[in-house]
Amino acid sequence: MAEAALAIEGLVTGYDRRDVLAGISLSVPEGSLVTVVGPNGHGKSTLLRAISGLLPTRRGSIRLFGKPLGGLAPHAVAAAGVVHVPQGDMLFPEMTVHENLMMGAYLEQDHAMIERRLADVEALLPRLAERRGQLASSLSGGERRMVGIGRGLMMGGRVMLIDEPSLGLAPIIIEQVYQVIARLKESGRTILLVEENPARVADLADEIHLLDNGKVVWSGLPSVLLERDELLETYLGG
Amino acid sequence: MEILGPVFVAGITTGALYALATIGLSLVWGALGMLNMAHGAMLTIGGYAAFTLATWMGAPWPLAVLAPIVVGALVGAAIYALVAHPLLARAPRSFETNVIIATFGVAIALENAVLLIFGGQPFGQSIALSGNLQVAGVFIPWQNLLIVLVAFALMGATALFLARTRTGRAIRATAQNREAAQLMGVPVGRVYLQVLALSGGIAGTCGLLVSSITQLSPSLGADPMLKAFIMCVVAGLGNLPGAIAAAFVLALTEAFASYALGARWGFPLLLAIVILVLIWRPDGLFGRAAIRRL
Repeated sequence: MAEAALAIEGLVTGYDRRDVLAGISLSVPEGSLVTVVGPNGHGKSTLLRAISGLLPTRRGSIRLFGKPLGGLAPHAVAAAGVVHVPQGDMLFPEMTVHENLMMGAYLEQDHAMIERRLADVEALLPRLAERRGQLASSLSGGERRMVGIGRGLMMGGRVMLIDEPSLGLAPIIIEQVYQVIARLKESGRTILLVEENPARVADLADEIHLLDNGKVVWSGLPSVLLERDELLETYLGG
Repeated sequence: MEILGPVFVAGITTGALYALATIGLSLVWGALGMLNMAHGAMLTIGGYAAFTLATWMGAPWPLAVLAPIVVGALVGAAIYALVAHPLLARAPRSFETNVIIATFGVAIALENAVLLIFGGQPFGQSIALSGNLQVAGVFIPWQNLLIVLVAFALMGATALFLARTRTGRAIRATAQNREAAQLMGVPVGRVYLQVLALSGGIAGTCGLLVSSITQLSPSLGADPMLKAFIMCVVAGLGNLPGAIAAAFVLALTEAFASYALGARWGFPLLLAIVILVLIWRPDGLFGRAAIRRL
């Protein structure tokens, strides 16, 4: 079996003295889209934050194509090729859309490469080209989400972490966001996606992990999960 | 009418100096959430650095003019590395209060170091232009003109640096959302170091300019630092353009009040305006609640 793009083994992490993740193992094969679903407050974002180095790895390991990431500072994890599109976008509010995108390319020194990525991002998200000179704080929720994703794409990277891309958006906008994610998957990107509602990712995900109280309680195909009513009822309230 | 000209010249000159003192303070606050109480000491050291080179060592003036930038930047970097960084690493949550106390200690230590080395007697700064320019019956000392020009050049350069360069963008990004900046690969520790060095370099130059129209003394930076802090608060902490505008308006107000009501009324009137502004807008004229931005 080929080495996984991202391999997590027995990961324990948390805030202050409290452990939030109690030994999580999962792997993301190259070119696949793996999803972690689960109720809010059960460690989904915590998992992504630990991968990015925003939270310490207390036990276990995180490997990117075999290279350990544990203990690296967030900027070094980014440099290693982990793109994190955080929950709630976390844009730079007083910067223009263009400046936000350019911050995504902060680590890239090759100008031709930056231009190429910018052209790709604006082709995928044409709205961003229209809003180029506008301040991020003046955008609508959906536009902000697109900037967050576009900024992540500007990083290049090898594995993309996307944290609840549907959060706080109207259903029609959520659909648009997921269309974009589907196209990212088609283009061969490796993606670890976190979402509250498994139905949203059923068509997209190659594998789904159900997270409850800091543990993976079920893993398998999304189509199987959606048929297991007792699981949905127990963990996701039907 | 002839008297109003010089009052205006004095007001604009001090406005430029306050604005320059404000930039560094505001930058550091915006990026780190750090109120650097040693900012005034960096001004003082800048003034003395130029004096040491020009007067004691007989160095040519271009060298003496560069000295405050270099020494200020080094002091700023040292304050980050030795004081701010350890505090931030050990107790990030109480950083904002801890660092005020710690840098206040640094300020006292630096001021006393200057006192120890140079003594308490004031010196005249030898690097200054003499003579006047006469415009429409008003004498404008060349040195005042130079101060205003240098201040505007430095403010313009800082603004361009923040807006256009990769490093400048990283500084603004860190100020606006530190975590997001880290996720983009920005090493925030290095950004903080750069911000404090930049702030120190500007402060050092400001100190040289202040000493060129006053005198060198160990407490040289105290008054500009106090005024700069007031400007920052009036404008809303971390708001750079606002703080610069406030610096000029308040300096002119102070100058005209001192002329019309007597010197002792300048500062009290300025403080009264500040109090009224803060009652009216507690987050400052251009500030927004709980937001720090560059």
